[in-house]
Amino acid sequence: MSRAANPRVTVDDVTVRFDGALTLDRLSLQIGRSEFVSIVGPSGSGKSTLFNVVSGLQRPDSGRVLLDGQEVTGETGHVGYMLQKDLLIPWRTVVGNIVLGAALTRGARSRDRQEAAELASRYGLGEFLDHYPHALSGGMRQRVALMRTLALHTDVLLLDEPFGALDSQTRLDMQLWLLSVYEDLEVTILFVTHDVDEAILLSDRVAVMSGRPGRILADLPIRLPRPRDLGVLTSPEFTDLKRQVLNLLHQTAVPA
Amino acid sequence: MSAFLRKTVVRLALAALAIGLIFGVWNLVIFAFHLKAYALPTPQASVSAIYHRWSIFQPLTVQTVKETAYGFGIGAAIGFLLGVFMSASKTVQRLIYPALITSQAVPIVAIAAPLAILFGFGLLPKLVIVAWVVFFPVVVNVLDGLAHVDRDLINLARVMGAKRTRAFLAIQLPATLSPLFSGLKIGATYAVTGAVIGEWVASAQQGLGTYLQTANASLDTTGVMGATIMLTAIGVASFLLVMVAEVVATPWRTRSTARRKTRFSRENVLTHTDSQTSTT
Repeated sequence: MSRAANPRVTVDDVTVRFDGALTLDRLSLQIGRSEFVSIVGPSGSGKSTLFNVVSGLQRPDSGRVLLDGQEVTGETGHVGYMLQKDLLIPWRTVVGNIVLGAALTRGARSRDRQEAAELASRYGLGEFLDHYPHALSGGMRQRVALMRTLALHTDVLLLDEPFGALDSQTRLDMQLWLLSVYEDLEVTILFVTHDVDEAILLSDRVAVMSGRPGRILADLPIRLPRPRDLGVLTSPEFTDLKRQVLNLLHQTAVPA
Repeated sequence: MSAFLRKTVVRLALAALAIGLIFGVWNLVIFAFHLKAYALPTPQASVSAIYHRWSIFQPLTVQTVKETAYGFGIGAAIGFLLGVFMSASKTVQRLIYPALITSQAVPIVAIAAPLAILFGFGLLPKLVIVAWVVFFPVVVNVLDGLAHVDRDLINLARVMGAKRTRAFLAIQLPATLSPLFSGLKIGATYAVTGAVIGEWVASAQQGLGTYLQTANASLDTTGVMGATIMLTAIGVASFLLVMVAEVVATPWRTRSTARRKTRFSRENVLTHTDSQTSTT
């Protein structure tokens, strides 16, 4: 959980401009192996831009992205990526969607399908292996989307408000479910959210971003013991952390 | 399944009712305007004409169906390939699109004569005309389908390290299926009309279209209406066939699970899960 000497993901001094306007301003961030880091910040603070830079979809104007010290700036195919939209393919079944990564690179083999079925079964989708996405609820679809990301066999996952479109009850279920998945597997997660509760409940660290241009204002360690459950949400430590994060966010919301 | 059966029965009943209504209005018009049988025969007389002249109608129908089906196949294939080809580049699209629209604005009858001169009076000019009317709705819909693939989905494929051709085959191409079928349905109903025009302009072999012309010339209105009903039936049947093909080709739109199930038993999966196979 500590910031290791050799971080899994390093965002080094990244600057991005859109039409001349600064979106990310010399942003640096390190994520240790198997660490869960959330980024919260006001809308338009460049969170999604940061994700596009880390995933390689967008090349920054300056700065670098490193994985295990290796430069991967502007290269795709190294990390898993999941958005608020589930982006499931309607004509593929649950298993078919989970093996999409393999299907798009080398062709899905029966081994991949076997593994996908195992993943799905282990995390509560066993009944739905042959279902088409339209037959699933929003929460189930996001589970499939996360399984698809896990099946890429990359241990770095970028999750951009994955539960943002779900109702609050389902969202809480999904957060607890994600906690169990995360605590079960050795994955490194960078998570974007608007929801302060969600960020604290899930993360080892919460990075608070400023409004545009995006900069990291504070990087708070969340020292709540794992495994975590619902009880965390009402503990005094949680409330205290939430106050800190909200204060920081409120500061940024007021125009300077 | 019984719910499906009930739905099907209701739909068939409604379709039969619709045909009954059309025939009812037809009879009503004849009655209201005191139309004589030589002006407009009743639907009953027209249908019975088909029955009594079946030995004449049968080869004509075969001929027209052949023209319609082959022309439709050629038009659909050209339309699909052209759509995929045009989607590759905006420049190509801007270059070809106006030509396509022009091709549809030109009256078919006007190009039919030169086609007959070019290709003779056999099957070929008819196929060209049918394909001519069929390919357009197909191109337009396929292009639309390819243009509306979610940008984020393409980005996701890129993040996954997808190769361009695989991404195209796995994501973009299947996305054209639904719009393709919309185009095919429109094309299927136009195809018969194309075949009739083809027969009128360039005919050595007899089809329902040529029969229509001869019957018209000899004031055989019962024959005209009989042939018209046959042609309409071919058009409707083509549409229905495309609809059935659509249901078969796009099962995810009508079913909640795949027909072919994942090939291992639940127990199998559970034991594998217990032994913690590779997931990270």
